[in-house]
Amino acid sequence: MRKSLVLALLLSMILVVSGSVFAEKAEITIAGGSVGQELELTKEAAQMYMEEHPDVKVNVLDTPDLATDRLGLYLQFLEAESPKVDVYQVDVIWPGDLAEHFLDLYNYGAKDMVDDHFQAIVENNTVDGRLVAMPWFTDAGLLYYRQDLLDKYGYDVPQTWQEFERTAKAIQEGERAAGNQDFYGYVWQGDAYEGLTCNALEFIYSNGGGTIVSPDKKITINNEKAIEAIDMASDWVGYISPPGVTGLAEESARKIWEAGNAAFMRNWPYAYPLGNVEGSAIKGKYDVAPLPAGDSGKSAATLGGWNLAVSKYSEHPEVAADFALFMAGPKVQKLRAVKGSFNPTIKSLYQDEEVLEASPFFGSLYEVFTNAVARPSTATAPRYNEVSRLFFQAVHSVLTDEMEARTAIEYLELDLVDLLGYEIGEPRQP
Amino acid sequence: MSRESADLIKKTLFYLVLLVIVFYLLFPFYWAVNSSLKTEPQLSMTPATFVPRDPETGNLDFHFGNYKQVFSDAQFMRGLVNSTIVATCTTFLALLAGSFAAFALGKLRFKGKQPSLYIILAMTMFPQVTVLTGLYAVINTLNMGARLSMIITYLLFTLPFTTWVLTSFFSELPIEIMQSAQVDGATPFQTFRMILLPLTAPALVTTGLLSFIQAWNEYLFALTFTAIDVKARTVPVAIQLFSGEFARQEPFGAIMAAAVIVTIPIVVLVLVFQKKIVAGLTAGAVKG
Amino acid sequence: MSSGNLAREEQKLAYKLLIPAFLILITIAVYPLGQVFYTSFTDKTFATGREASFIGLENYKTLLSVTIKELPPVVDENTGEQKIGEDGQPVFERPIRVLPRRPELYRPVFEFSFFSNRFVVGAINPDFLTAVWNTIIFTVFSVFFETLIGLGIALVVNSEFKGRGAMRAVMLVPWAVITVVSARMWEWMFEPTRTGFFNMIFERMGVGDGNFSFLTTTELQLPSLIAVDVWKTTPFMALLILAGLQLIPNELYEAARVDGANKVKQFFSITLPLLKPSLAVALVFRTLDALRVFDIFQVLLSQKRYSMASYNYFQLIQARKMGLASAVGVIIFIVIFIFAVTYIKMLGVDTDE
Repeated sequence: MRKSLVLALLLSMILVVSGSVFAEKAEITIAGGSVGQELELTKEAAQMYMEEHPDVKVNVLDTPDLATDRLGLYLQFLEAESPKVDVYQVDVIWPGDLAEHFLDLYNYGAKDMVDDHFQAIVENNTVDGRLVAMPWFTDAGLLYYRQDLLDKYGYDVPQTWQEFERTAKAIQEGERAAGNQDFYGYVWQGDAYEGLTCNALEFIYSNGGGTIVSPDKKITINNEKAIEAIDMASDWVGYISPPGVTGLAEESARKIWEAGNAAFMRNWPYAYPLGNVEGSAIKGKYDVAPLPAGDSGKSAATLGGWNLAVSKYSEHPEVAADFALFMAGPKVQKLRAVKGSFNPTIKSLYQDEEVLEASPFFGSLYEVFTNAVARPSTATAPRYNEVSRLFFQAVHSVLTDEMEARTAIEYLELDLVDLLGYEIGEPRQP
Repeated sequence: MSRESADLIKKTLFYLVLLVIVFYLLFPFYWAVNSSLKTEPQLSMTPATFVPRDPETGNLDFHFGNYKQVFSDAQFMRGLVNSTIVATCTTFLALLAGSFAAFALGKLRFKGKQPSLYIILAMTMFPQVTVLTGLYAVINTLNMGARLSMIITYLLFTLPFTTWVLTSFFSELPIEIMQSAQVDGATPFQTFRMILLPLTAPALVTTGLLSFIQAWNEYLFALTFTAIDVKARTVPVAIQLFSGEFARQEPFGAIMAAAVIVTIPIVVLVLVFQKKIVAGLTAGAVKG
Repeated sequence: MSSGNLAREEQKLAYKLLIPAFLILITIAVYPLGQVFYTSFTDKTFATGREASFIGLENYKTLLSVTIKELPPVVDENTGEQKIGEDGQPVFERPIRVLPRRPELYRPVFEFSFFSNRFVVGAINPDFLTAVWNTIIFTVFSVFFETLIGLGIALVVNSEFKGRGAMRAVMLVPWAVITVVSARMWEWMFEPTRTGFFNMIFERMGVGDGNFSFLTTTELQLPSLIAVDVWKTTPFMALLILAGLQLIPNELYEAARVDGANKVKQFFSITLPLLKPSLAVALVFRTLDALRVFDIFQVLLSQKRYSMASYNYFQLIQARKMGLASAVGVIIFIVIFIFAVTYIKMLGVDTDE
């Protein structure tokens, strides 16, 4: 009796909702990337949706590319419980923190879709059993290397950090002796910001040092493997990396790399097409590989990327959710992969010929993308940003020689215990 | 040493000092101009070059692609209009309300003068980001449009500034001027309008200019208030939303080009107001 | 009309004239400012539905708690004497072993020696205290140099010469460059390789090897930022001072010249005293802006080193601790208030009769 009552109520609600939806043109707004081509592709996809659903109007809103600025803006909207934005493009580290503002997409038909997507991202976006965001495109840290220089000095693409250090040093010395005083072996992101968390997570996790906080909510950072990995990175500074690497972010590293002044670079896939533009000093001379492995014997790449979440303050939740699922679906993801080299989150697209033709390394690095390691954003929600800040500041203080790795990590552990109240545990192995 | 040669040395020294000042003020801006004429490969050259050069041959090699990109950015061009509207209105309101208040605070006797001064200053003593949330709530409640929101909220920092500066200038003026006007039968307000305002014209122009630029440069409020109303975006927001071809790519050259394009109208504005400043000065000289 | 009547009229007019300013103030300032004060006594989280509770002065306590502890010497077990480190200095216990952990974790801010004893200053929130320190150092130096250079430029421009009009436009350029962009521009000049202007020029002059990392080397961070701010805001000072200079009647100088006073004497007996009020106002607003400095810290140093306002920003946006961020705002407010009142009193430009 009660069941049927609930059912009837639900049905009538759906009727009312859909009734109001179809009565007039529903207008929804998606807030997302501002970047030229990215914005164009979003608009194109929105156009496709509107053609299929003539009763819906989709507005595309561009927001700052700088993640902090974008987050600040979103927070203002969410604090005001604003219905003005229906679909948010959210960073892979935000779902945990912002979960309370988003609808559970499982209630809107996402169940049938998620199996096609990368497991790691779906897990990352699932908070207390609710799917708060749909995977849209992914990112992972890659090792860019100069094929011509490896050939010149007779090295293979390094598989371990030890090999890597040796190779980088040898090439750096060779190039410097040949007259390029600005040449360095390795550029990466060592500035005190989220990018350092990504970089450090890679060398720590690949060395068997875990993920700061494990998925089962144990604080694992204070271990020998992690300290060893941080010490290794701090030795790079001024040795195979410029002293200023502690101030480098993605773009500043890419500039050194593209000027032909580095043998290796750690960066996201976006740098791949940019190095091949006309006038670039490294055009056609480089390729990408998985980052070297540490003591764990496995390489690690930090999971990046963006997802689509539907605001629970939306006036048209049904339409907004349907639109989000459409955007994250195979048709739009393929369009974005072919036209904009955005890494799809749908597994089958990595076998798609058109996609592979546009970005050949999608195929060879499939493993890197599927095995990318997530930052502990869901395990530490809603305090991930703070965890990350404490972490990158600790690592940065070691890189700049302000603190010993051991002391910095000890403090970090104390801070994390205070902040999260979790227990201390053993690191998870890849 | 003859008087003439002493004068000559003095003059040379003076212009030398002037040259140093001009160099100091303009060099970083020149570097922006230089960077705006470079392509991405040119920007990443080591060592950096004083003029755009070809990375291979080292010949002069200017590129105007960045300017093309900026001028074809509709949002940026609209931003110029929006910024002008917003900054002008804010400045006008700040000068109006500010000069009224400053006249009272600088020249009239009344109870509660000092508290008033401090209360007005207190408006601007919080960091912007702290008051942003509260302001956003106010704007949502009053349901103001984006442009109006910016005009009104920018008064938060322009009004205290104009009020305080003008107060100091008004109180500088000799009290006799007012008294003689009162003897002539002018009301205090007439004194204000006919005598004080023209006398302090240079101060008004300077204050107006400084607050105009402050409003013109504001970013954080503008970003938040125009987030939905895309058509109301101002120049700083438009520039921050500039983008490269790919995600994460920072179009540095285009940002520099935009900086150059935006700075020039302001310089022109000053050159135009120049006459006003001079006129205000001579007017003051005649009456004073 | 009796004089009492006249005074009453004047008072009435004054209040009327203040109406617009106060109307604006009530509309836009009262609620946000009041909200900041109120929130600073709660544990509100930004952008969450959870109810905030009133926690009194807890936020302020977290921000400002400081403790001093002595570091005991580390004793060598074999000799029974204090251990000597590799650098020849006596070894003391690490602060982490000495500073209290419960109920709150204290972290070291700095260490100092006193009569061969070693002490450590710890705080719950060392980042904030160093942010206060950074901001004050930044403010003192940048305002000092801006005033000095600004006064110099204003005096030069105030004399008669050809091209004075153009000069005034040139003066404005640094101030007119959009703040967020100018910070990026300087970041570019400070690049840690020879793509950056400073490394290129220093290397060319034989200083260093083109690898100065201006923004990550602790000793270079604040000087770099001060240099940027001095460049950017000297015009603001110069223009305000210039406007003040122009209000000084020429007759005064002529009279002084007749009396045989030289330029230097004229400057100290006429210019400076008469400039005091405009200088005071310029100083108040410069100091106020410098104490709230945000853009250049956010762009150039981001999370490496904070100013009070950038600390505030990251606490609000990243940590979403709105209560704590508001308390930071209130502390900034108080610091600025103290500075403002001090200036006004020191320069004796109180407008109250």
